[in-house]
Amino acid sequence: MDAVVESTPLRVALVGVPNCGKTALFNRLTGSRQKVANYPGVTVERREGERATADGRGLKVLDLPGTYSLNPTTLDEAITRDVLLGRLAGTPPPELVICVVDAVHLPIGLRLALEVKRLGLPMILALNRMDVAKRRSVSIDVARLSSELGVPVVPTVAVRRGGADALIEMLVPARWSATRSVNTPAWQESSAEDAEQMQSDLRGLLAATGYSAPRESRWIGYIDALLLNPVAGLLILLAVLFVMFQAVFSWAAAPMDWIKNGMAALGAYTTAHLPAGPLASLLSEGVIAGAGTVLVFLPQIVILFFFILVLEDSGYLPRAAYLLDRFMGSVGLSGRAFIPLLSSHACAIPGIMATRTIPNWRDRLTTIMIAPLMTCSARLPVYGLLIAALIPARHLGPFNLQGLVIFGLYAAGILSGFLVALFLKQFGGKRQYSPLMLELPDFQWPHAGNLLLGLWERVRIFVSRVGGIILALMIVLWFLSTYPAPPPGATGPAIQYSFAGQLGALLQHVFAPIGFNWQIAIALVPGLAAREVAVGALGTVYAMSASGDDVARQLEPVIAHTWSLATGCALLAWYVFAPQCLSTLAVVKRETNSWRYPLIMATYLFALAYIAAFITYRVMS
Amino acid sequence: MTQQILVAIIVTLAVMFSVWKLMPARRRLQTLLALDSWSARRPRLAGWRQRWLKPRIARAAGVGCDGCDAHDPRSQPPRR
Repeated sequence: MDAVVESTPLRVALVGVPNCGKTALFNRLTGSRQKVANYPGVTVERREGERATADGRGLKVLDLPGTYSLNPTTLDEAITRDVLLGRLAGTPPPELVICVVDAVHLPIGLRLALEVKRLGLPMILALNRMDVAKRRSVSIDVARLSSELGVPVVPTVAVRRGGADALIEMLVPARWSATRSVNTPAWQESSAEDAEQMQSDLRGLLAATGYSAPRESRWIGYIDALLLNPVAGLLILLAVLFVMFQAVFSWAAAPMDWIKNGMAALGAYTTAHLPAGPLASLLSEGVIAGAGTVLVFLPQIVILFFFILVLEDSGYLPRAAYLLDRFMGSVGLSGRAFIPLLSSHACAIPGIMATRTIPNWRDRLTTIMIAPLMTCSARLPVYGLLIAALIPARHLGPFNLQGLVIFGLYAAGILSGFLVALFLKQFGGKRQYSPLMLELPDFQWPHAGNLLLGLWERVRIFVSRVGGIILALMIVLWFLSTYPAPPPGATGPAIQYSFAGQLGALLQHVFAPIGFNWQIAIALVPGLAAREVAVGALGTVYAMSASGDDVARQLEPVIAHTWSLATGCALLAWYVFAPQCLSTLAVVKRETNSWRYPLIMATYLFALAYIAAFITYRVMS
Repeated sequence: MTQQILVAIIVTLAVMFSVWKLMPARRRLQTLLALDSWSARRPRLAGWRQRWLKPRIARAAGVGCDGCDAHDPRSQPPRR
């Protein structure tokens, strides 16, 4: 038994209150690139990473969701408690706990540390953000804290290279072998007396270590007062979002042209150097005109995420959550819904998973139901293509018209989400509003390393999607659009006689009332897998329809010449609502443990999409 | 003819890849586990199983979607 224990990696768990730097420390220890942000609730499930050690045994490091106490109120907090107690199936209790405590806000973290220590598990206390604590004149007698607690205390700066070296030196499995325990940790729900005793212990500990609260900057106070003002704060928030969407179009124009020209040159080269035949057609009309069309939107994605990451890292987003809390309450949403809904603007899937932080089931379900209405980054290529093709690139005063339209589309997504929440509130019976209890993080300059890493991750995800599932689906679509070959003497474009053409002709009956032609109908089918696939599909379908001439490789002018404004706007309206993402529906099934809710979601969203597209088309034509 | 054979191979691979990527995460994990137990009985596949299959099983067990990496447990090689 001992031999087995000695040869397996030491199981180490990172525990701490939300936003104390656990994930940053996890990344530092394991070399992972898990998302970190300057607000609580980023980690909602356990994550695992490994680290090799000199003795060859290694460490298995678990990053757990932040919690203020071992008496959980939400699903993510329950995960932390269950992992520590060995109650989670397939996860034995950790052999060493690293309790991460934010040195700037020592009392909050120490309270949890006292609770964890009572479990009897071997523990190290990582006193994180020591650099900020020193800057803000926080005094802590580290040696005294260690002797009072009876556990090693190590100062760390998780976001800095080398900032966790002292901690890493301590993580030698042999050192903890003697204290390894195979017993289940002891724990019971705390009573009121326990809580009082804990508070008294905490006060004693703080007094003994000479802790002094951080010095507050007067300027930060002024900035906070402005940003949290119900009127000025809202105006600032709107201005920030407005600038963001203006930049998405204005700044991205030049790099998008470079990629577009590169793709056109590649298409021309392929056609010129390959003998005519199915391979040349597959490469130029399937791969380049299909997947290449989606790749063009990479600069817009990068710019959008640059702004999101800056806002995340600076600590501004929780302030925006505070500002919108009352409004969200009035439409029947929990204050805790803000972070999940915000995450949904990147991708609905982490947004839906982040609803685990909402304790009330009905509040959680409402948030899950409206999360796909938030404009995820996969919609951006669709919006970008249609806006660039149909909306003139001119200025209205100082504002870019295309930027205004995309701002309107994002606003439409948010507004419709709130309206659906309001509808659910009316029919869902009376609920007690649970206000947002959020610890506002300190303001900080965005960390350049985090920013670059975050952007790189987004680029990697986007490019790997284009080179993976989108490319594969475009090849399949090319096949379906090419075969069977047209009969002898056929006069129309070959695609009309293909499998895809026949499917498009069938679907056109459904989509004709909302102004969609057969090419759009075909593109929507593979677009069910992921929204941006529709852009590539349109590229392939139009390239096939136009018998492969150079004009067909530039999708924008083709759309501008062949679609009416009403059709384009109807498709935009469709995309505000349509749940064109199978992964999202699969995650809803997993999170609600039922097929009922994803089915309801798909039905109501498709119905809304059809109605919105119908009204838009009819009004505009 | 060569072009047609090449295209047939590419399209077949694309179909297989699309089906794989669009498969529900649980079904994908089940398939990988079945592949694992099949390859466990073949010593010649031990290296492939360790290098290729095991990391994919670990990833499939922890990943909810293909669309974003927020929950992807992949990390760089263990640090020393």
